[in-house]
Amino acid sequence: MDGFTISVLTNIALFSFLAISAWILLIAGEISFGQQAYFAIGAYAAGIATAVWQWPFVAGIAFGTGFGAAVGALVAWPTIRLSGLHFAIATLAFAELVRASLNVFSYQRDIDGYATGPDGANGFRDIRWVYEAGIEPGAYLVIVAGCLAAVIALVALMARGRGMARLRIVGEDPILAAMQGLSVARTKIAAAGLAGGVAGMGGALYAHLATYIEPAQFSVMTGVHALAYGLIGGLGTVLGPILGVLIDIGLLESLRVFSGYRMIVFGGLVALVLILRPRGLLDERNVHRISAWLRR
Amino acid sequence: MIDVVQNTLDGLAIGSAYGLLALGFTLIFGVMRRLNMAFGSSILVGIFAGAWLHGQWAAGMIPIFAATLAGAVLAAAYVERLSFAWIRGDAALASMASSFALWMQLEDGIARAFPQRSYAFPSFDILPLLELGPLLLRPEFIAMFLTAAVLVVALHLMLTRTVFGLQVRTLSESREAARVSGVNVGRVAFLTFCIAAAIGGVAGFLIAATDGQISTKLGLWITMKGLIAMVISGLGSLRGALIGGLVLGLVEAQAQWYLGASGREITVFALLFVALILLPQGLAGRADAAARNEALRRL
Repeated sequence: MDGFTISVLTNIALFSFLAISAWILLIAGEISFGQQAYFAIGAYAAGIATAVWQWPFVAGIAFGTGFGAAVGALVAWPTIRLSGLHFAIATLAFAELVRASLNVFSYQRDIDGYATGPDGANGFRDIRWVYEAGIEPGAYLVIVAGCLAAVIALVALMARGRGMARLRIVGEDPILAAMQGLSVARTKIAAAGLAGGVAGMGGALYAHLATYIEPAQFSVMTGVHALAYGLIGGLGTVLGPILGVLIDIGLLESLRVFSGYRMIVFGGLVALVLILRPRGLLDERNVHRISAWLRR
Repeated sequence: MIDVVQNTLDGLAIGSAYGLLALGFTLIFGVMRRLNMAFGSSILVGIFAGAWLHGQWAAGMIPIFAATLAGAVLAAAYVERLSFAWIRGDAALASMASSFALWMQLEDGIARAFPQRSYAFPSFDILPLLELGPLLLRPEFIAMFLTAAVLVVALHLMLTRTVFGLQVRTLSESREAARVSGVNVGRVAFLTFCIAAAIGGVAGFLIAATDGQISTKLGLWITMKGLIAMVISGLGSLRGALIGGLVLGLVEAQAQWYLGASGREITVFALLFVALILLPQGLAGRADAAARNEALRRL
């Protein structure tokens, strides 16, 4: 594979984390405009772990993931009881709060004669673990894809067990779910934690690829894109958000045919798709059809 | 002390523009029960239509104002058809995602047609600066405040005194009831959408004329301010939307003065977050909030 293909594929994989994160909450019946906050939190936490505290890479990624999950659950705890729109705005407020706070967050230590660590709006440079370990872009793509496969496998496992069914019933009809004896709030908080962890992992991996991160990268736009991917791709399967990312980044950004007109084409395409399929391309009905066809 | 008063005046002025934006959001939300994410970008289209007219023919304020309104309403009509009218009634999520996609499309289209970083917008430089003792009052700010007041009164009269207003209110109470009583639901929703865009267009025109220059970033900015102001007010009423806007303007002006730009951002979003948790009914929360929450939960 040439360098261009590798970078496109890595981008697709990294965006997929964010898209899956927003998708998990969509399944739980909540709209989040703020998953980019956990992406940022994961990126900063993992960056600080490996660059400032000199932790090994795996520990750094795990720290970013765990931190994202913890903050996700913690933020959901007071907000999840709000109505849908209020929750959506609360996630937006929290995400912007995180971005604005990172703009003034400074935490630097002297590492090998360089001041290393986040420096407010100037960003956080020299997250060099992957670079110093001599990991090639192709090898890093394998790492990112492996992590993504693990996330997909986890969600698939949940779909086989009762986790996913629980999430769906809570999302579709909270009153019915409560009558079945499910704790709606607890299920949603767990979903928010999972979503935060997935976004945190993506952020941690992103920080080590980019080596430089800054608060402005984690704007509302990023989060709303992530949300849109799940809605276009479909709510029926975890592959839906990935399909959304593939259509946007894979097809439109990378194919030069649409160069410059990407958003105009993509925007129109999305609007048309949603008129025909309000729950996305891979919605429940299509997933059912495809799986029935595969079983034949 | 003088600073506090001056900040309050500035805050109220910009806050009345925020209030108008929130008014547009509230109207659309009231009738559609869905969020229109493309609200800011349709206003952006209007503002750039005005700026284009200004750059092309150095037109006067009135044609520019008309172009701004026309652009905003046309773009909003496009959004209404594609993202709201043609999407099934129960798919609130799809409408939101679709309006987001159109936001991207409109914003990118504008950025493509107007590639420079910023464009000049005519300002009201004919009007003199008012001095009240140690206080300074920019004429644009007075215009903003007065326009907001007039528009709210006009809107209130329209909603309470006309048949169309009655239809809008019926629709926002219950879509089904409106249909049964013979209201042309699609037409009323479409017209409400256009009125909301026109109000937003007025706010956008005032904001652009105050700044004297515009960039494509304004779309996101307008959407954020309108949403925040609407939520602070508690989605309750038109009056609430205006109050929400004024509160947001006040807080921003004081925080900007005492804490600087990044402090302002942190304060506004922290306040919004805490306010949502402690006061989800908003500042103007009222008895009908419970009924509305039922509709909101479905979103």
